[in-house]
Amino acid sequence: MSFTIPIGPYHPSLEEPFKLEVKCQGEFVEDATMNIKFNFRGVEWLAQRRNYNQNITLVERVCGICSDLHTLTFCRAVEQLAGLSVPERAQYVRVIIAELERLTSHALWAGMAAEIIGFQTLFMTCFALRERLMDILEIISGNRVHYAMNCIGGVTREIQDPNAVLDIVKWTRQQVENTLIPIFTTDRTIRARCIGIGVLTKEAAMDWGVVGPTARASGVPTDIRRSTPYAAYDQLEFKVPVETSGDVFARVVVRLLEMIESCRMIEQAFKKMPPGPIQGPEFVQVPPGETVVRSEAPRGEVFYYVASDGTDVPTRVKIRTPSLVNMPIVRLMVLGANLADVPLINASIDPCYSCTSK
Amino acid sequence: MDKCEEIVAQLDLGNPWEKRSDGWWLEAPDMDVEKMAHSMTEANARLVTMTAYQVSNGEFRIIYHWDLEGRMLNMVTMTRKGGIPSIVRIHPASDWIEREIHDYFAVQFTGRELPPLFLHPEDSPGIFLDHSENASEKGKGRER
Repeated sequence: MSFTIPIGPYHPSLEEPFKLEVKCQGEFVEDATMNIKFNFRGVEWLAQRRNYNQNITLVERVCGICSDLHTLTFCRAVEQLAGLSVPERAQYVRVIIAELERLTSHALWAGMAAEIIGFQTLFMTCFALRERLMDILEIISGNRVHYAMNCIGGVTREIQDPNAVLDIVKWTRQQVENTLIPIFTTDRTIRARCIGIGVLTKEAAMDWGVVGPTARASGVPTDIRRSTPYAAYDQLEFKVPVETSGDVFARVVVRLLEMIESCRMIEQAFKKMPPGPIQGPEFVQVPPGETVVRSEAPRGEVFYYVASDGTDVPTRVKIRTPSLVNMPIVRLMVLGANLADVPLINASIDPCYSCTSK
Repeated sequence: MDKCEEIVAQLDLGNPWEKRSDGWWLEAPDMDVEKMAHSMTEANARLVTMTAYQVSNGEFRIIYHWDLEGRMLNMVTMTRKGGIPSIVRIHPASDWIEREIHDYFAVQFTGRELPPLFLHPEDSPGIFLDHSENASEKGKGRER
């Protein structure tokens, strides 16, 4: 017998409003439709009615988890249009904050995955880790979520206590290497719930333009930090973890390995960061023109198009978040899956509904 | 021959690429977008997104942003009578992107259905359309 199950828009397995309608034959999924309209705020429209500095505050609110990447990408676009150079020290600060944000995002995701699997102690372990990372971001910026670190031409503040950050990063790396990776990769329940589940082939990932850890877990080695380095990424040594099985397990492994790489990058950034100013010359005017900029957010590539007519208000701001390109493939991944696996498969791409329906 | 040049030759556009600090740009108002999408798909390019930009004559500048081996290729064309052929059957990644642009600007992507992505089914598309007098001023110089 065929029946349709609505999941959402408000559901215990969803942290944001989103609706997935799953058509099932018995316990197995025949088709699925997605509806993402519940969080629409018209950010692009608003951005074309605010000046460049006001827009930094606005775009930071596209997403509560990768807020820094949005301000970083927007500021880079304006800097490119205005021909502004960013001091080297500020470029390293940008990397440190971006990688701390990646760590908090991946820790959040690992916790959510553990929760969906039903592994409560692992959920608490991941969230305890995330708490300490958010604490350190609060010590640096004064905020746990919206750090307001980026400004046009640099960053707004110094990292006052590098040793406190390095201590947390060292502890995080130990937690990931000694606790999270062993549990996630060897626990029988996790392996049973993740291996061979929600497979996305490399071909499908390429056809659908999938980005970030979801693409890398399907054997597509795309990473903007490597292909088009920005900030100080070209000065740092790091690996881009790639797995080929394309299942939920591969997405787990890629994200956990990325956490180790983020720790390595932060440690290197503190060692290599030169003394000097953290802001460039005062930002005066953006000449007419247009530009595109991409950054690697925790969920994948963030894209901004910004056009200027020479005034202090952009004529067009286009934002493409990674979840917008990753979410359509959930439909492909759940086809033929057991209904009980649908929440985990959906969560495995780390969807952000706030980003998607910005 | 460079892959970008190969693609230009295939498209028979006669327009040279302009290399800028943010990637390669190609302005081709009369571009055959389906042919372009075929060429890019065959070249294993990834569709990053598409940008719609309202210009003065009621038309839209549509920019196809592609990633080809890490390089950003931006192909600019224009709508005709507010519409442009859909490339969703050639490149499925354009599905939500075209629906988003339809929601925002009511651009018609011909050859496909456009169920709303962000709007309620009873809402009219085109919520980002600028109906003010200065709409034409803003787009000046970009209509080509």
